[in-house]
Amino acid sequence: MRDISEALLGIEKIKIRFLALLEERQGVIAHHALAAWESTDPNEVRSHLNAAQNILHQIAGSAGSLGFDSLGQVARDCENEIIAHLEGPDGKSTPLPFEIIGRMDAFVSMSQALLTEGA
Amino acid sequence: MRILAVDDDPIILELLSQFVDVVGNHELTTALSGPEALEVVGSSRSAPFDCFLFDIQMPKMDGIELTKAIRDSTRYADTPILMLTAMSDKRYVDAAFAAGATDYVTKPFEVSELKARLGLVEGLVQARQSRTKKIFATQAISASSQPGVPADGLELYEPISIYDVDNVIEYMAMGNYVAQLSRSALFGSTTFAFTVRKIEEHHQSMSAFEFFSLVSDVAEVISDTLVGHQFLMSYAGSGTFVCVTESGWRPDMPALMDAINLSLSRTELYDNAGQQLYVRVSAGEAIRLIWKSENSVMEAVAAAHISAEAASASHERALKDFWLVEQRA
Repeated sequence: MRDISEALLGIEKIKIRFLALLEERQGVIAHHALAAWESTDPNEVRSHLNAAQNILHQIAGSAGSLGFDSLGQVARDCENEIIAHLEGPDGKSTPLPFEIIGRMDAFVSMSQALLTEGA
Repeated sequence: MRILAVDDDPIILELLSQFVDVVGNHELTTALSGPEALEVVGSSRSAPFDCFLFDIQMPKMDGIELTKAIRDSTRYADTPILMLTAMSDKRYVDAAFAAGATDYVTKPFEVSELKARLGLVEGLVQARQSRTKKIFATQAISASSQPGVPADGLELYEPISIYDVDNVIEYMAMGNYVAQLSRSALFGSTTFAFTVRKIEEHHQSMSAFEFFSLVSDVAEVISDTLVGHQFLMSYAGSGTFVCVTESGWRPDMPALMDAINLSLSRTELYDNAGQQLYVRVSAGEAIRLIWKSENSVMEAVAAAHISAEAASASHERALKDFWLVEQRA
């Protein structure tokens, strides 16, 4: 068994890895958000939303354990909004409700602020 | 313990490596997907794992499919599996328990929660290891081919893990499943139980393996009778099967008991000596879980259990009284 302070040092390293990954992930989410917004094909919209949701799911699961509670919460809210839309009556129709794009925008903006702060 | 953690997020795996190191003397192996995990598990070079941690939502093969695949192997039929779940995965938790999960840990997790869960699992693993040692000590082989069946005897009151029967989960997992039912889920939830009549006589006259087989057969008959309804069931010991449904279904207990007993009468059950067994069940009350707190939910499950045992005892008393009256006449 290791000492907690040693483990905390390890967690600092994971935080750095998380932020490096976040830079890439928020870019991918922004790409899917824009592609879903611009598409008129319902299947394509679903596919972009699913891809964004998978990444948000990962961030929501780990951010809180690393001390990024607010980011984790925003990711979770955004994920839940996407799930509710995909499973709801309008899940197979276009255009995409603005609330979803708004949530994704809030997540991307928050990620960028966090990354700027960390830089 | 030797633990295998599977998650498609490398950050979660790194976090687990840190946390698991802090909470105990454990050895952690990680995999990024279900197929990779199965490869690790199937590798002859690796020593057996004592515990699994599976993410529920993963691409290609999710944690539920992975749990089913792991449970299919005799070696891991009763190894504790903890699901790693995010809040949005709650809708999959029922399916995870039905597939054979023992418990779940919510993401994002904290050291204290993980420590508590792994502590419970470690207790379970140690209890099973001491049981396995007893099996080897007695050198009995007939029962040891079945996981969870100690050759040196099964206590009557002991819960038994039953495998390969739809919707039947371990008793410990049932407690964890009930504890996670949300307030809204409790609205439509009901608990009920069935007790095998004259279970003491069956237990006394049978070997551990025969008794295990009897319990498994009855579980299968009950599960088949309840097919079409959403439910989970576990064997709580002393001949009693406890069930929970959260679908809003209000079971008609006398009708269910008759259907199960009819099915049991059509299923020819024999002991190892070729003697046909007369097996019937009694049904307890169906108790709704609405507006109950976590503790009183467990009390309600216990009450359903007790009512089924009481119904079985009352049936036996009624039979005895009937014969006494006949003799007097």
